[in-house]
Amino acid sequence: MNLSYREKSLWGTLAVTMAVYGYYFGRALTGTHPAEFDAASISRVVAAVVVLVAIEVAYEIVLAVTSKVDPKDERDILIESKAYRNAYLLLVGATFWLMWTIVAQQMRSYMAVNLMFLSVVAAEIVKSVTQLFLYWRGL
Amino acid sequence: MKQDFTIRNNIRKLRFHASEMTQQELADKIGVTRQTVVAIEGEKYSPSLAVAFRMAHVFGVPLEEVFRCEPLGPQPPDSQP
Repeated sequence: MNLSYREKSLWGTLAVTMAVYGYYFGRALTGTHPAEFDAASISRVVAAVVVLVAIEVAYEIVLAVTSKVDPKDERDILIESKAYRNAYLLLVGATFWLMWTIVAQQMRSYMAVNLMFLSVVAAEIVKSVTQLFLYWRGL
Repeated sequence: MKQDFTIRNNIRKLRFHASEMTQQELADKIGVTRQTVVAIEGEKYSPSLAVAFRMAHVFGVPLEEVFRCEPLGPQPPDSQP
């Protein structure tokens, strides 16, 4: 399969995002957890973000060395804008749903913050998937 | 909005007549990536006017020789000669 630099970058971002945040949310949202979003919870989120950034930076360096880096052109920008639209729609929908759920179920801060974080991560995944789909199918 | 026409192109033929110009060479000349040239040539992406004109300029032909518009499906009766 002849993938462009941008597609390789997107596949890497998607894989790392799903692996790191999959592990984080697998631990954070299952089993026993505190009712409130405390200092330990913050440190776990920060750790997940730091690990994600470190792996992504390493991957991008390897990719830049091994692949020809192309600057973005008009097709890349158009695909990215469509992907941002889908991600935005998901984020807006998730935010309104979460606002309603927090009030209706009197949700505690631990779950509320984690679900908000999950919707941001889901929006990022939708963006990457949309871009990969449009690169594959065409506009 | 659903389009009732499709944009065809002669890029493969024009590249062949331009000393077998590669997709990468064409991409470099018009300022896009090779993947975008592949997508345009495969009719999976319709480029902007700027890119279309740059492409015509590279081949030294009018725009109509690079791209043409073809209707999809049957023509309405009033458009028949």
